[in-house]
Amino acid sequence: MREADLPGRRLLWRAVRGRRRDLVIGSVFGMGHQTGEALVPVLIGLAVDRGIVGGDLPGLLLWLGVLAAVYVGLSYSFRFGARAGERASVTAAHRLRTALVERVLAPEGGADEGRLPGELANTATEDAKRVGAVTMALIVGIGATTGLAVGAVVLLRISLPLGLLVLLGTPLLLWLVHLLSKPLERRSATEQDRAARASGVAADLVAGLRVLKGIGAERAAVARYRRISQDSLTATLRAARAEAWQSGVVTLLTGTFLAVVALVGGRLAASGAIGLGELVSSVALALFLIGPLSEFSWVYAQLAQGRASAARIAAVLDSAHAVTDGPAGDTGPALPAAGRLRLRGVSYGPLRGVDLDVSPGEIVGVVTTDPADAAALLRCLARRSDPEEGSVELDGTDVRALALSRLRAAVLVAEHDADLFEGTLLENVGAAASGADVTAALAASGTDEVVRALPDGLAAAVTARGHSLSGGQRQRVALARALAADAPVLVLHEPTTAVDAVTEVRMAAGIGALREGRTTLLVTNSPALLARTGRVVLLDAGRIAATGGHDALVQARADYRTAVLA
Amino acid sequence: MSGTETAAPTASTLLPVATPARTRAAVAELLRPQRALALTALAVMVGSTAIGLLTQPLLGRIVDLAADAGSADALTTTAALLAAVAVVQGLTSGYGLSLLSRLGESTLARLRERFVDRALGLPLEQVEKAGAGDLTARVTADVALIAEAVRTALPELARSLLTIVLTLGAMALLDWRFLLAALLAVPVQVATARWYVSQAVPLYARQRVAAGAQQQQLLDTVAGGPTVRALRLEREHVERVTERSWSVVDLTMRGVRLVLGFYSRLHVAEYLGLAAVLLTGYWLVSRDSASVGTATAAALYFHSLFTPVNAALVLLDDAQSATAGLSRLVGVTDRPPPPPPAREARTERVDVVVRGLGHCYRPGHPVLSDVELTIRPGERVALVGASGAGKTTLARLVAGIQPPTTGTVLVGGVPPAGLGAATARRTLALITQETHVFAGPLADDLRLAAPDATDDELRAALDRVDALGWAEALPEGLSTVVGDGGHRLGGARTQALALARLILADPPLVILDEATAEAGSSGARALEKAVARAVDGRTALIVAHRLSQAASADRIVVMDAGRIVESGTHDELRALGGRYATLWGAWSDTRDTGA
Repeated sequence: MREADLPGRRLLWRAVRGRRRDLVIGSVFGMGHQTGEALVPVLIGLAVDRGIVGGDLPGLLLWLGVLAAVYVGLSYSFRFGARAGERASVTAAHRLRTALVERVLAPEGGADEGRLPGELANTATEDAKRVGAVTMALIVGIGATTGLAVGAVVLLRISLPLGLLVLLGTPLLLWLVHLLSKPLERRSATEQDRAARASGVAADLVAGLRVLKGIGAERAAVARYRRISQDSLTATLRAARAEAWQSGVVTLLTGTFLAVVALVGGRLAASGAIGLGELVSSVALALFLIGPLSEFSWVYAQLAQGRASAARIAAVLDSAHAVTDGPAGDTGPALPAAGRLRLRGVSYGPLRGVDLDVSPGEIVGVVTTDPADAAALLRCLARRSDPEEGSVELDGTDVRALALSRLRAAVLVAEHDADLFEGTLLENVGAAASGADVTAALAASGTDEVVRALPDGLAAAVTARGHSLSGGQRQRVALARALAADAPVLVLHEPTTAVDAVTEVRMAAGIGALREGRTTLLVTNSPALLARTGRVVLLDAGRIAATGGHDALVQARADYRTAVLA
Repeated sequence: MSGTETAAPTASTLLPVATPARTRAAVAELLRPQRALALTALAVMVGSTAIGLLTQPLLGRIVDLAADAGSADALTTTAALLAAVAVVQGLTSGYGLSLLSRLGESTLARLRERFVDRALGLPLEQVEKAGAGDLTARVTADVALIAEAVRTALPELARSLLTIVLTLGAMALLDWRFLLAALLAVPVQVATARWYVSQAVPLYARQRVAAGAQQQQLLDTVAGGPTVRALRLEREHVERVTERSWSVVDLTMRGVRLVLGFYSRLHVAEYLGLAAVLLTGYWLVSRDSASVGTATAAALYFHSLFTPVNAALVLLDDAQSATAGLSRLVGVTDRPPPPPPAREARTERVDVVVRGLGHCYRPGHPVLSDVELTIRPGERVALVGASGAGKTTLARLVAGIQPPTTGTVLVGGVPPAGLGAATARRTLALITQETHVFAGPLADDLRLAAPDATDDELRAALDRVDALGWAEALPEGLSTVVGDGGHRLGGARTQALALARLILADPPLVILDEATAEAGSSGARALEKAVARAVDGRTALIVAHRLSQAASADRIVVMDAGRIVESGTHDELRALGGRYATLWGAWSDTRDTGA
């Protein structure tokens, strides 16, 4: 348990230490602020005692002057302290956020495997924020301790019994509140989860609005939502009632405690043991001390949350690499890859001892009877994973011996579900083209048609993940981007599934012409594309079942026909 | 719908937003059925706060008793009264707050239910013009905003305001001159609050935009991680995230500085009021108009105002943004409820008659012209043509998603766009390439199409589209929670689910637009078979993505540049040697060398 916590704790303290300058500034001013706040009730008491009781106007004015000075001090301390604290917490969160994204995007991969994007994005925002908030919590904690100490000193100086009553009574009071509210808190947390469901379901129904309307299910959906909303309401009401009573109990306990302090203080004052002003100060201080003391439970909760969040961030940062980068020394210029690609006895996932030799400049098709075989092959070629057995070689060198950045510059694997990014159409197509002309790639991929159809042409805005485009448009833009990168070895995965037959034929011709003489692997079951290849490899049950020309395979093999023909 | 047809939403196309007056009226309307509850809650809260205000005079009395070295018994009695006040105040405030939350929460529930009801009834055309984000933002962010306000701000604000008003009243009861002194702080507080709201509202709006942009960029980058790595865009994307994150940091710090400036000004107000109350106390005591105890009570009253005043002022911008959110919700809930069905749903076979149909999304750019088409009851017609030929638009017009610019569409003798209501949808179903799995148990998803379907009927529908095997193999069979936050279904399964819903909805007319597009080559063939079974016995208009799907239709309609150029059976059109024959040639050449 402690062992598992360790990376989280280490990360938490590293984040806090990184902001130590703001932490010190914030703590010093925070102490100043709390001292001031503790002095205000004392000064009210003094003003009553010295000014009003004795009818001494200069005395009153003197203490009002002191009060003014304290106000200026506490106000500025609060301002500077809180600013430093907030700065520390948001900067720490920002640092963690960038570190997290850097790790997720690292060429070695592995951090995003088995984690949903939404979950990772949440870790990068919410968890980073919570870890950052720990610095603020520390400042508040230090400030509260100071306020408590000042209050304690003043109270004990007024009267030892009264001081002890307040100093021991306040924690006891808070402990009682905690004890009483604990079962309420537990119940309220689970019920709030149930309550949150209504909003989730509403968003989900709106997201599926077209589907609902398509089958006329609006009434049924509304009826279903109403049921969930009412269920949610019942849960919320239980939680809200618990909270309301909890707050009532706090009022009750605080008031009773105050009555006890007033009784003891009043008797002491009546007997002349303490002055009237001191009585006023004591009562006001008793009220004030509840503030810093209840601050501690907040600080504690923040620290606990921060630790949990730090552990989640650390788990992402420390996640195992999917592949190891090549030797650090391999930082030379782009590989002058001739483009000979060779698989030697590759076994990975469903693949069993696959041998494949692609000569420089060859265009080869790969047909799979099971999409899982294609996925496994692509992972190995993109070096998202290493084969369990066997090896992949580029120009005679095992790819594991090459730096990932150099390897991926030489071998580009364009997967079927590749994403587009926010930006213009042109920025998307040219993303990996390093400034080269993309006109040929636009034409070959059929994207020129997309450009003509969009009012803004190449300057058309593409929204996040390409959702402003239709499926067919997205696919063509992604293909244009892959072609524009002009990689020595290009692996295309099902690049034409979302376009019509005529466009598909055009795209197949375009790809064939543009990649003429450049090593290209077409992992597809589309006959239009396969007809453009020099030879086709049929993968069945993880093994190479046949190799030959497309036409010949269509004639010769029934399994091939089933795989590629409608 | 393809990107060519979507214009960026502008303010004029966004969904309606209610005026402040209308928003107030709508809230009053929502509260009306709970008037009794509202009045009780208010009365209990006022009583509770008023009882609590006895604390300070009682403390003042203790000071007075101590000053006169009064009897120990009197001191004890007063302290006992203080404790009694605390007990009564605690119990009544607990009761009052729970009444208040019942009022707020049940009103909120009615509001969100009405919102979902009206939102789902909005014409699709209007939602599309506004951009899907508008409606989603209202149903998530705005509802959450208001829920948060109801849950935390409302009780806090109610309690603070009551405390402020009643405390000032109590000070006036001690001596009206204390009230005057206390009110000295008010001009500073009012000026501060005005200054703060004027600065905070636009700043917080920018903060929300920046936070949204950051979240979007993170999702974009993280979800696209494999693509980023493949194209070696790591550095660029880290920079994008850093930039967005830094702008959030920057705006957050601006907000912090603003809030701190706000508190500094409030400190000034606190000091002014406190000094004035103490000076008034001195003056009244020296003239023997008040006792020291009264002066103490007044000072304590004022000191106890700090917390509720600050809380109320801080809640101002919560209240402001909740009001803005509320006006966006009321903008939608104020729409008239969907009209009751004009006609009974048609359950027998229907025909489709299209006459002189023309349509343009932008004036002067017709996407359809002079379309004439008749589909006989039970006939299966395939639409064929290149991207942009107008197939999707024709399908949308027949489905009644929007009224045509010119010409008429009649489904079973009735214009589908005019029907609009859900009943019309019982006559026809439209399945597009946009798919969705509804979060919740799989059976619940299916029952959206047929609420009264038995488990056996659900199974039979799944079986017809070859989905029963995998559905029953799910961890908890048909009870498995699927969709967002549940078991994730792949593209082909999602499509199969859409077809199963179609079978359950059982409409006489089906319009299918690229329902097999996302499944990839091998999945597409399986789905084609499922589609054939799902539309069996229905009148069908199918936007054929793969020509094999067209070949099995009763009739094929070929479109080009917004016009119908050919129509006939597969064999007729092949024999005709026109556009379809060419298309078929290109398609089958690549697929078919023998048969």
